Amino acid sequence: MASRHSATPTGHGAVSPEMKKPNMISVGGFRIATQKLPILKAEPIEEMTKQLGIAPPEMIFGDNHVTIEHEKTGWGIDFNAFDALDRVDKTGQSMLQVAYSKEWQQSREKTHEGIKEVVKPFDWSYSTDYKGTLSPKARPFEDTEKPIPIELLKRPDPILFFDEVVLYEDELADNGIAMLSCKIRVMPGRLLLLSRFFMRLDNVLIRLRDTRVYVDFETREVIREYQSKECEYEKVRQILAGTRDDIPALMRDPNRLSEILPIVEKHSERVVLAG
Amino acid sequence: MSDLDRAIEQLRACRLIPESQVRELCYKARELLIEEGNVVSVDAPVTICGDIHGQFHDLMELFRVGGDVPDTNYLFMGDFVDRGFYSLESFLLLLCLKVRYPDRITLIRGNHESRQITTVYGFYDECIRKYGSANVWRYCCEVFDYLALGAIVLGASSELEPTSSGMGDMTQSTMPVDDGELETEVLNSRGEVTMSTYRPRQRSSSDASTDSRNISPPRDISAAPGQTAAPTRTGAPGTGASGDGNGSATTCRTGAVLCVHGGLSPLIDSVDKIRLIDRKQEVPHEGAMCDLLWSDPDEIEGWGLSPRGAGFLFGGDIVKQFNHLNGLSLVARAHQLVMEGYKEMFDGGIVTVWSAPNYCYRCGNVAAILELGEDTSSGGTVARSNGEYGRSNGVGANGIANTVVSPGRRYRVFEAAAQDTRGMPAKKPVADYFL
Repeated sequence: MASRHSATPTGHGAVSPEMKKPNMISVGGFRIATQKLPILKAEPIEEMTKQLGIAPPEMIFGDNHVTIEHEKTGWGIDFNAFDALDRVDKTGQSMLQVAYSKEWQQSREKTHEGIKEVVKPFDWSYSTDYKGTLSPKARPFEDTEKPIPIELLKRPDPILFFDEVVLYEDELADNGIAMLSCKIRVMPGRLLLLSRFFMRLDNVLIRLRDTRVYVDFETREVIREYQSKECEYEKVRQILAGTRDDIPALMRDPNRLSEILPIVEKHSERVVLAG
Repeated sequence: MSDLDRAIEQLRACRLIPESQVRELCYKARELLIEEGNVVSVDAPVTICGDIHGQFHDLMELFRVGGDVPDTNYLFMGDFVDRGFYSLESFLLLLCLKVRYPDRITLIRGNHESRQITTVYGFYDECIRKYGSANVWRYCCEVFDYLALGAIVLGASSELEPTSSGMGDMTQSTMPVDDGELETEVLNSRGEVTMSTYRPRQRSSSDASTDSRNISPPRDISAAPGQTAAPTRTGAPGTGASGDGNGSATTCRTGAVLCVHGGLSPLIDSVDKIRLIDRKQEVPHEGAMCDLLWSDPDEIEGWGLSPRGAGFLFGGDIVKQFNHLNGLSLVARAHQLVMEGYKEMFDGGIVTVWSAPNYCYRCGNVAAILELGEDTSSGGTVARSNGEYGRSNGVGANGIANTVVSPGRRYRVFEAAAQDTRGMPAKKPVADYFL
């Protein structure tokens, strides 16, 4: 039987006490910080709804963030839920529809002529092309063809700092998943941040939007790469049908899906910070 | 000890029962559920619970906070399975309790109690993983098809018995105790009152005798969490009932409470229409049954379509009208995650109750259950009008105002149980060489 032990928030995931203070590390002149807190309460959600003009996702980690700062110049980039959601389409122009929407609406036409209005249309898949928020006085990025040096990142250098921070998540009313999360790993000479938006609308579409930020501590070069990939759900399923793997599990795994989905947009920028 | 009691004991320890026993259990459950109407009548006192989602250890915590079955009368509003890691243990335990104590626990269907949804959101996979085949999943799905679609709670008291403990610094009262009746109370998992609200008395002058309850001895909630409401009243039942129940012109009663998983439907304007649905099927993609399990209240006027292209949203005016027409004072529903565990909307016309703390093991939210006490003021008899107060007792027909008062609501808020971390997501993320 359960015993008395829940007087304080208990120790897993977002609520564990040691997660409540920001995690921080300073390496090579850069300061990296993450913060993980529970989802927002009703009042801040209301406030956010007002400011955004759309209803935030069901699980909104509005206090979470990942920040990279160059101590000397004050250059910084921050990843947070509010700014990411502010880039979600609020007009309803790029609105998706769930798989059984046609069927549902046809059945309604006969019975409910009156109710045709979509209240507060917006992109409820919470798709965002968010690439992080630059600090006010940050030197801007410039376009580049230079790729992130993958080979250097493949080396098994010791990881001094690692964290994974969810910014928001929505179950799309049990029609799939939309999730924006950030991973960061800091090695002695460099760091890599991956901000990934993953959206699977069951039987309709799979979408991945990755922003990678690479920082070389020695050269103070920052490369930011944005990649948008997507593909129809059924096509992905057919591609996977050729493998012997567990298909439903693969359809939930953004890492494996990333290998399959075609790129629809790619964009690289860089900036070198003053020494 | 019967096999059933043994199964309950085993499941309480989070150990599964053999497949053959599951089959038998599901068969018995179906026989029982088929006798229930689409809308089950439940007498107060009752404790109303929202989504569980396979969070077994948190369900145990819920029973610790709310009292055990059969001491406490429970009503679960669906979504027992999916998402969490122990859908099987959670659902089978609830089902065992239902078969063992059919009058002390009511289970209604959530949108996750469906073949299609469970194949995507975890329950199917869990069955395969734990039993090695889809048989148990199939048995459970057959039970899902027989679950009631809603419940009507009758005979709830408009006023809460005051809780003794914890009326300290944490308490925020809207009014002094003397001037009103206790309408809502929020308690933490230790049984301490953290908030209470009062409403002005709406009684005729002849009702002064009801104040006898103020001399009721304080109850120690934390010592006896199972005993809600009635037993400690000092006044004999009926002493406060002057005129009530006799069709008195100034009658002031607690309306019935409709419990559904999702919400209302534009196809359903009366509780009776719910009774006409042929429910014994997979949850359809459209129609009244679908709406009851899927729709959401929203700050809009009238009905609206969800931007997702399927599903309805309904506003405060719809709830008000529905409650008025059906003699209801409250719609209780689940279905949506709320950080505080419960959320009242539309002047208290509807409440969302959420009973899965730290949802998906990462949201950090608290959970809540809603206790409705028993109205003993009319001698303990319950008006069995199944949500048709206005018509059945003729008060409305006389054109005399029939004030429907909302029930006294006690929310018990609780946090996630500490649990062993087998199969749980790692507390700290494991560093990996992602690219």
